[in-house]
Amino acid sequence: MGFLTVLKKMRQKEKEMRILLLGLDNAGKTTILKRFNGEPIDSISPTLGFNIKTLEHNGYTLNMWDVGGQKSLRSYWRNYFECTDGLVWVVDSADRMRMESCKEEMQVLLQEERLAGATLLVLCNKQDLPGALNSNEIKEILSLDDITTHHWLVVGVSAVTGEKLLSSMDWLIDDIAKRIFTLD
Amino acid sequence: MSVVGKQLNPVQSSSAAAVAASSTAAAVAAGSSSNSSSEPNSANAAAGGAAGIGAGDTKRKEESNVTPEDVLHLTKITDDYLCSANANVFEIDFTRFKIRDLESGAVLFEIAKPPSEQFPDGLSVEDTMLAAAEDLSLDDTADPNAGRYVRYQFTPAFLNLKTVGATVEFTVGSQPVNNFRMIERHFFRDRLLKTFDFEFGYCIPYSKNTCEHIYEFPNLPPDLVAEMISSPFETRSDSFYFVENRLVMHNKADYAYDGGIIV
Repeated sequence: MGFLTVLKKMRQKEKEMRILLLGLDNAGKTTILKRFNGEPIDSISPTLGFNIKTLEHNGYTLNMWDVGGQKSLRSYWRNYFECTDGLVWVVDSADRMRMESCKEEMQVLLQEERLAGATLLVLCNKQDLPGALNSNEIKEILSLDDITTHHWLVVGVSAVTGEKLLSSMDWLIDDIAKRIFTLD
Repeated sequence: MSVVGKQLNPVQSSSAAAVAASSTAAAVAAGSSSNSSSEPNSANAAAGGAAGIGAGDTKRKEESNVTPEDVLHLTKITDDYLCSANANVFEIDFTRFKIRDLESGAVLFEIAKPPSEQFPDGLSVEDTMLAAAEDLSLDDTADPNAGRYVRYQFTPAFLNLKTVGATVEFTVGSQPVNNFRMIERHFFRDRLLKTFDFEFGYCIPYSKNTCEHIYEFPNLPPDLVAEMISSPFETRSDSFYFVENRLVMHNKADYAYDGGIIV
């Protein structure tokens, strides 16, 4: 393998981003993933493992990992932290009962060393549902303003209508790109 | 074992794509055509490496000896399986394979194991699809390699698709799986069409997982396309699955693109 080949391979690797979608069960992680990739979202069942999508988007190869959020699966999340460039924390905005545990789980992740360099995108999903908290309210509950360790953004979205989904993902990709591809 | 398969949203042969799974020996054996690096012009790039397990070598290698580097340097399809069916000690089971066209959204090909044969419980299988599925019954022969080989038949228009999503779904057994890696090599005769190399990493015990690779179809020269259409089943692929760099599964597939052509 010549030097140019090595260089080319490194280049290809550089253009790759690993994005991890996490959140409590029933937050809508898989629905968001499918919506983002133009798949039907009418028959989605609980994820009992992971769903991966690899795709080209804005010139980057995105590897998106959606790992099941049921309580019994959360202890496995740490197996997917390595090399994560972006963390998407998905919140069921209508699930007021579980906002506290949503906050606790997210804060555990933010202390995780292997996620220290990752950009955080908080998606307040299900904005189409009556009774959904808006992104400002969720920002308060999750104490997002206290986060100093990560670049972050909070956005109200709906995986069903697709509202603001694409623009918030673009923000995530841009933020990662600025951080890790500055030599380009 | 039986397999159900169904061509959802069958497309007209003019506009295109999958014709049917001609499942002489079909199973959901993951002959996926995913891709990350198209190499239409690199038929010679891999030459010289891995002669030891090339097609000329009829002796099956010990599974522990076959490394990812070895299979990445293969210059042609292998004559034989490079590990035995028993090497799959993690009970990795492919339960679904799907191809969709991202331009139209159409599902071009889908084949899935019925939920009764799936582990853990087939929760995420859409009943509607299975109800509609036709039964492609499989000869339950004593062949230990049954289920490791898939035959696909497409129309020529399949080769004109622009963006394709290829999904595999698989379950794993009671043991956690570390460093799960898939390497796939697609050849037309001895010409390397594309290599696909993806690391799944860790798999949760008893989990059901999916992976979709969305990719631009390789831009093949027209004369090559014509040759591929006129030479059914000379386009072939090897799919190698490694756990911690040990080969645990090897599946094969072949492809025809002459569906709908009257000779």
